[in-house]
Amino acid sequence: MQASRARLFKEYKEVQREKSADPDIQLICDDSNIFKWTALIKGPSETPYEGGVFQLAFAIPEQYPLLPPQVRFLTKIFHPNVHFKTGEICLDILKNAWSPAWTLQSVCRAIIALMAHPEPDSPLNCDSGNLLRSGDIRGYQSMARMYTRLAAMPKKG
Amino acid sequence: MGNSDAASPASAAAARDAKKKRGNRSAAKLKQSKRETRRGQFLSKGQGNDGNDAKVATSPTGAGSNAGSPILASPHPPLPRRRVDSRSRGSDPEDREEAGAAGLEVDGSGLDSPGSDKSQGGDCHQRKGFSGNGGGRSLSSGSSVWSSSRSVSDAEEDTGGPEDESEVFDDWEMAADALYIDDSSCNQSSGPTPTPPPALTTAAPAHAARPEPIRSKTRAWAPDDIFRPQSLPSISKQASFPASIGNRWPEMGMSAAQQGILSLPLSCPICCDDLDPTDSSFCPCPCGFHMCLFCHNRIKLEDGRCPGCRKQYNTVSAAEGVGGGGGAKAAVGTGREMEKRLSRSCSMGPSY
Repeated sequence: MQASRARLFKEYKEVQREKSADPDIQLICDDSNIFKWTALIKGPSETPYEGGVFQLAFAIPEQYPLLPPQVRFLTKIFHPNVHFKTGEICLDILKNAWSPAWTLQSVCRAIIALMAHPEPDSPLNCDSGNLLRSGDIRGYQSMARMYTRLAAMPKKG
Repeated sequence: MGNSDAASPASAAAARDAKKKRGNRSAAKLKQSKRETRRGQFLSKGQGNDGNDAKVATSPTGAGSNAGSPILASPHPPLPRRRVDSRSRGSDPEDREEAGAAGLEVDGSGLDSPGSDKSQGGDCHQRKGFSGNGGGRSLSSGSSVWSSSRSVSDAEEDTGGPEDESEVFDDWEMAADALYIDDSSCNQSSGPTPTPPPALTTAAPAHAARPEPIRSKTRAWAPDDIFRPQSLPSISKQASFPASIGNRWPEMGMSAAQQGILSLPLSCPICCDDLDPTDSSFCPCPCGFHMCLFCHNRIKLEDGRCPGCRKQYNTVSAAEGVGGGGGAKAAVGTGREMEKRLSRSCSMGPSY
């Protein structure tokens, strides 16, 4: 069995065992493919993403623990480090700062942390980055909140 | 002092008997502090030449305040006396005059000791320190014990003459021992300083630590207890190891990385295979991150950074294994190769 498979299987068992450990993260493995995962994360509190539930898609390479998983947002999100159309995430640990010691769970945690602390100096969403860089915190927050409400909250009625 | 010398060995022996359960260490400590007591007494005696009078005069003031042991001049502690005064003030003049006279007398006798106190500046200071500490001790030994300690001090007044202070102190020791044993048998809530007071400065930290082993007699050893004998089987390796051995790492000159060996994960965090003994003893990085040799080799081929700390293996590792040899060598430059050879030459035998 491949190392990546074994590792993912272990992570899967871990996730099943500690389902209630982190209520903000829900990791779901694809039924037929252990290299495809989805995750539901809750927007961190005291951010414009609070109250939203965001869906992430994980595509895991064959050499997984050595190479980082590819993660993108399936839910629209207005964030300087997330591509608005593709959902691509600009996060160092998903690129050059990846360490095999990280897990899918810890990646989710890192993404939650990124949502709470946007990094406008390396933007994938230039509009959002420019708002923050020009100091228009309020503008950024209201935009992000609007998109959270539009895309990440369950429709009422 | 001759009297005290005669008395002290006997009392010390008695105290030792009582202490046998506690073991040698505490007995030695007690002995030492006893010695210090005597030294302090000797010193104080040397300072005030008219020794006995001063001691007699000062002891009621010192001891009376906390232990309630007015020995010579005043038959009652100061507080009741004042009450008598105030009561008499309310009554008719004759009574009042009488009472005033009596009050004067009482006051005079009361003033007696402070006067002698002043004349004996240094000496009285030390005395006060002694008895004050003694009182503090009995106070600190908890409310449950207070009554018994009180009675003990009363008995002490009856039997032990005030002129021999050292005996008083020896009695104190015994009383404290008795208290201590009582304490340890029932509950150990108090801040117990059963040894003689003057040793406070030196012995205090030791006392702070001492209740531990006694308390744990009634309980099971906690896995992280410092006093837990190492011969006991470890409850859980990872919990007990750092506590019992962790203190001694610096002495043994172990690095953080080698400490990590003991808190081993059971399986490789990278590939989730079980770690065999070779893998377990393999510590490629000073950050203490463990993994199996296969994963280490693969990581070295890919990007060569430790998964734990993200530092390049070749720059951080001194104890790098030979495992990664050939393949990695082709990839790395000459500088690294030098380092590697160096590290290989000083990498120790035991792991391979």
